Amino acid sequence: MGQAGSDSEGGAGLRVKPALPGTEGRQFGGRAAPKKWARQRKTLEIYSVELSGTKDIDQTDKGDGKEKYRGLKNCFEPKKNHQREELKKELDLDDHKLSIKELEEKYGTNFITGLSSTQAAELLAQNGPNALTPPKETPEIIKFLKQMVGGFSILLWIGAILCWIAYGIQYSMNKSSSLDNAYLGCVLALVVILTGIFAYYQEAKSTNIMATFNKMIPQQALVIRDSEKKTIPAEQLVVGDIVEIKGGDRIPADIRLLSVQGCKVDNSSLTGESEPQARSSEFTHDNALETKNIGFYSTTCLEGTATGMVINTGDRTIIGQIASLASGVGNEKTPIAIEIEHFVHIVGGVAISIGILFFIIAVSLKYHVLDSIIFLIGIIVANVPEGLLATVTVTLSLTAKRMAKKNCLVKNLEAVETLGSTSIICSDKTGTLTQNRMTVAHLWFDNQIFIADTSEDHSNQVFDQSSGTWASLSKIITLCNRAEFSPGQENIPIMKRVVVGDASETALLKFSEVILGDVMEIRKRNHKVAEIPFNSTNKFQLSIHKTDDPNDKRFLMVMKGAPERILEKCSTIMVNGQEQPLDETTAAAFHTAYMELGGLGERVLGFCHLYLPADEFPESYSFDVDTMNFPMSNLCFVGLLSMIDPPRSTVPDAVTKCRSAGIKVIMVTGDHPITAKAIAKSVGIISANSETVEDIAKRLHIAVEQVNKRDAKAAVVTGTELKDMSPEQLDELLTNYSEIVFARTSPQQKLIIVEGCQRQNAVVAVTGDGVNDSPALKKADIGIAMGIAGSDAAKNAADMVLLDDNFASIVTGVEEGRLIFDNLKKTIAYTLTKNIAELCPFLIYIIVGLPLPIGTITILFIDLGTDIIPSIALAYEKAESDIMNRKPRHKKKDRLVNQQLAIYSYLHIGLMQAVGAFVVYLTVYAQEGFQPGILANLRVEWENDNVNDLEDSYGQQWTSYQRKYLEWTGYTAFFVGIMVQQIADLLIRKTRRNSIFQQGFFRNKVIWLGIASQIIIALILSYGLGSVTALNFTMLRPQYWFVAVPYAILIWVYDEVRKLFIRLYPGSWWDKNMYY
Amino acid sequence: MVIQKEKKSCGQVVEEWKEFVWNPRTHQFMGRTGTSWAFILLFYLVFYGFLTAMFTLTMWVMLQTVSDHTPKYQDRLATPGLMIRPKTENLDVIVNVSDAESWDQHVQKLNKFLEPYNDSIQAQKNDVCRPGRYYEQPDNGVLNYPKRACQFNRTQLGDCSGIGDPTHYGYSTGQPCVFIKMNRVINFYAGANQSMNVTCVGKDVGACLDPSSLTPPKPRPLLLSLTLHFLRSPITGSSALPPRDEDAENLGNFVMFPANGSIDLMYFPYYGKKFHVNYTQPLVAVKFLNVTPNVEVNVECRINAANIATDDERDKFAGRVAFKLRINKT
Repeated sequence: MGQAGSDSEGGAGLRVKPALPGTEGRQFGGRAAPKKWARQRKTLEIYSVELSGTKDIDQTDKGDGKEKYRGLKNCFEPKKNHQREELKKELDLDDHKLSIKELEEKYGTNFITGLSSTQAAELLAQNGPNALTPPKETPEIIKFLKQMVGGFSILLWIGAILCWIAYGIQYSMNKSSSLDNAYLGCVLALVVILTGIFAYYQEAKSTNIMATFNKMIPQQALVIRDSEKKTIPAEQLVVGDIVEIKGGDRIPADIRLLSVQGCKVDNSSLTGESEPQARSSEFTHDNALETKNIGFYSTTCLEGTATGMVINTGDRTIIGQIASLASGVGNEKTPIAIEIEHFVHIVGGVAISIGILFFIIAVSLKYHVLDSIIFLIGIIVANVPEGLLATVTVTLSLTAKRMAKKNCLVKNLEAVETLGSTSIICSDKTGTLTQNRMTVAHLWFDNQIFIADTSEDHSNQVFDQSSGTWASLSKIITLCNRAEFSPGQENIPIMKRVVVGDASETALLKFSEVILGDVMEIRKRNHKVAEIPFNSTNKFQLSIHKTDDPNDKRFLMVMKGAPERILEKCSTIMVNGQEQPLDETTAAAFHTAYMELGGLGERVLGFCHLYLPADEFPESYSFDVDTMNFPMSNLCFVGLLSMIDPPRSTVPDAVTKCRSAGIKVIMVTGDHPITAKAIAKSVGIISANSETVEDIAKRLHIAVEQVNKRDAKAAVVTGTELKDMSPEQLDELLTNYSEIVFARTSPQQKLIIVEGCQRQNAVVAVTGDGVNDSPALKKADIGIAMGIAGSDAAKNAADMVLLDDNFASIVTGVEEGRLIFDNLKKTIAYTLTKNIAELCPFLIYIIVGLPLPIGTITILFIDLGTDIIPSIALAYEKAESDIMNRKPRHKKKDRLVNQQLAIYSYLHIGLMQAVGAFVVYLTVYAQEGFQPGILANLRVEWENDNVNDLEDSYGQQWTSYQRKYLEWTGYTAFFVGIMVQQIADLLIRKTRRNSIFQQGFFRNKVIWLGIASQIIIALILSYGLGSVTALNFTMLRPQYWFVAVPYAILIWVYDEVRKLFIRLYPGSWWDKNMYY
Repeated sequence: MVIQKEKKSCGQVVEEWKEFVWNPRTHQFMGRTGTSWAFILLFYLVFYGFLTAMFTLTMWVMLQTVSDHTPKYQDRLATPGLMIRPKTENLDVIVNVSDAESWDQHVQKLNKFLEPYNDSIQAQKNDVCRPGRYYEQPDNGVLNYPKRACQFNRTQLGDCSGIGDPTHYGYSTGQPCVFIKMNRVINFYAGANQSMNVTCVGKDVGACLDPSSLTPPKPRPLLLSLTLHFLRSPITGSSALPPRDEDAENLGNFVMFPANGSIDLMYFPYYGKKFHVNYTQPLVAVKFLNVTPNVEVNVECRINAANIATDDERDKFAGRVAFKLRINKT
């Protein structure tokens, strides 16, 4: 099991934390290690010691595991009954208690010969393939239909149906009536269908990104069937199959282990605990989840080999059950979906109420019911921003693309914004906040603590390297180390090279390689003659070398291990290169340093050495590691070295940004509280000057209970404490402390924490990677899975995937999310404005009886033609102020479309636009002969096709077609009027508070592209298609394009004044009513 | 895990509404305090006042660009349309000979329509002009106002003048008169200095008489209209190519007044309502002598003038007029 192996595995979607221990498999055939050690090596324990390592390991092995699974049960308790029953049943699994004989009987198999092919085929047919049922996906057709009826589509369908009804009435009255209404109905239906298809396509495209991401490498399993070993696809495994696994394999199903050779598994995808766990064929625990003779589906075998019998396949495996439970957790509506719904309700409400109001007015004005229906259609079409939802989708996917570039892959388009409104982030520690690799952080020698560079590239090691002690220490570090670089990586930076070896040794190897240069060469010069690898009883590692000094014939014995054990063996200590007797003061100094480094949550190692006297140990001396024919006491203590998984260098900055952005960052980790707290402090999750209750107690030398809890800002809560908390206590904890670290939590407790946060009305982002995180990821408002370390289940449940597992990427996501919210506001304000300018003509047409100023089709050309690109262009607008310096928006108060936005768009700018467009329209009519005065109540005559001598203001007479053509010119004029003013509208929407000059007139180039597109589309419609009157556009005289310009300028000046007053008088009446 | 929605009781909703309408604690009416309302009202008063002023100003400026006597543009009126009198709802003249009420309304309308053409009125107001020539009254730098108009005497309409006519323009005898007039267009020199006249034919124009196609093409998507055109063309072709004489036969003979249906050049050009106050539009009366009774006959009249095109496909009334004639006899 090597690093390379784990990488490819990671690609296949299984969570594999870089192997901490267990590089042994690879080393077997490698170096000249005596064969007799081999067996011993297989049972190696994790190589290094934490301050309270023993205790922790005990906890993990005994108490913790149980708690975890209890947590698992607890969190699923509110689920549907039968699901819980299923889980219970699983927990009642007793296969691990049975003997091999009993098992063979139960499953009708044979340990030696395996199942027969026919048996296997039968079972496969009976139980189905050994694969997880993918989460139930909404059928594509349902998704498609949802797009067809969602949002404004319903209104437009109503419009279309009204059209057809109107046509039906006309047709029944007059068999040869015009088809206009039927056509309009078709056009409306077409609009709905096209925008639906577009939205569906956009959604599908973003889902596809994930689909490719999820592509799994088909897994193979080595199975014994018909007494033969065969490699078959893991999917075809059935219960009773005998499978063989070896280091590096993913366990293909839940298996009961029958024979085991040094097998260790990584159950992190199940438990979140990355410590490797030994497996054996003995029944060790009543609980199936904890007994050592069961291997779980989708966990990884790190080393060794084992043979086992399949006891559960597919969805009946433990992982399968958790995955299916996760899919049962309701996916909550995203905040932006809620906002858009809110907005659709507002606009739909306005459309329907105005429509019905004017239907009633029209009927009471003695209009024909048929005409009234047609008015109603016009009002609906004018009121509905047909292109807006498509625009929003495009805008979101643009942002999604931008975020993907910054390593945030968004699965669900709407999640783009969710991150922006996030108010609490529950973050993992390992890998997300930290670099996920052990790194040397501190050294202690010459009675002094030195700080090592823990940044990602280690480039800057500044501690004093001139001391003789360092020379000795560096030699021990280099020699007493079994880790090696994989070959062929000479050109890769040291920190990126793949290493065969456990985490601590890797850290030491890289550390020494950076400082000393070619470590392999040094090792070669100091030939190793004997070695005792680390084990958990000794808690030290020892090796004996020939020195590279040809004049010195002595052997050098080097040793490292748990500091207290190392110190026990020493009688002297090296200070400034000189050996001195180890007296009490130096011992005390050692203890202080040890405590201090341990207190930082670091893993501390002690180093010592001894030059074996040449007379006692001549060159030919044969060392025997079993009998230990060499001294093991009176060694010379050289120094301490401590390691930590250091925070990523970008994280502290990112956390500060979150802070200033009003986002609470909560750390949730399975790690030890001391380490967790140390990392939290170093990244700023617990800020430098805040204290926990325990800190205060320590400072004031009083009992923890006596401390006034209000004094503490920070809290470190362990999983055990969390388990005993009532929801109310958790709520209290979450509200009272601004800086919280949850340590030693099981992934299941994450769900409890998330729910607690959501009770505070917060929008919660959760990061996670394990299978067990998936319920929490689903439950969170936005679940963020880790792209590298994340399991498939986690990625499936998440809304977003961090491709680099880096917390800082979340912050960029937050920034993008907030920006998109602001920009969507602008887009919507821009789009809503012209609705009034489109609506007013209908209202005035009904009441005053003017010839219709703008046709329904023309409106569609604005909504779906000229306005589309400009409204998308607003998505490229830069933020007006530092959006990371304000609080996250309040879910219920800071709406996307608020009263101010609607009123300002509808009643201020919208009305100005309407007036401006009317001026253009009236100008066209007046200059053609119909002066404004004559237009009132002209409608009936005007529209009567049999009146072919209608008199204008000058006494000239018009045929119906001549009037119709003028009417279309009027449409075109009104259209151009709106278009010209929409340019002004677009410019003013660049900012909501700042002056447009502060924002930079030309900074957003896309805006200008939008304006150009507007003008070009209008020109094409008027001049290009002007001769095709079917679209109701005519060639408009060039001067009419400029009639609305004064109004466009007015709009711009008015908005500048509005913004000026907002800036001058913040909090004033003006600010409250005019800022949207 | 189940999203719990806060259910409000009915009473709570009413209570909330009450508080929204009048909140006694904050003295807010509909969510605003008195001052806030005053501000809002004042603001909108000023804002809309300003907007109205702006609108008025721009309209005033715009109206400065149009003159009182001639429109700025006349591009739409290049071809004057033709129209019939009596004016009916669907351009159909239906006469039940035995039922006086069916045609009396036509007669009433015609009486009223022809009143200004009475010789006495014409003689009193208008000039006698030289026929065959345009009656031009150029301004020559000074406004020549009001302009004179030429006489068109009712007696010129002969049998259709309705003067001392017991047959009521022939309606009572089943020989109705239909009057044809050409739309007024300012400064239009109809006929381009050559004589012009109106001719009528009975014509079954198939699709043309389909009322929907009489109306100009209405808004419809390009694609659809093309399809429609394609679907329809064979019908048009079949009916248009072999002209069916049925309608011509049914129409029978007719006489026109003035003779030959000619319109004199002296009635042109028209100078507009303001200047040409007493302008009298020339008319052509068509008296149908023996229309086949109880059959709907399609009649098309068009003007034959050098500068008036009568084949505009879209505008079915450019230089022509089509109407239905039906004489019901028992």
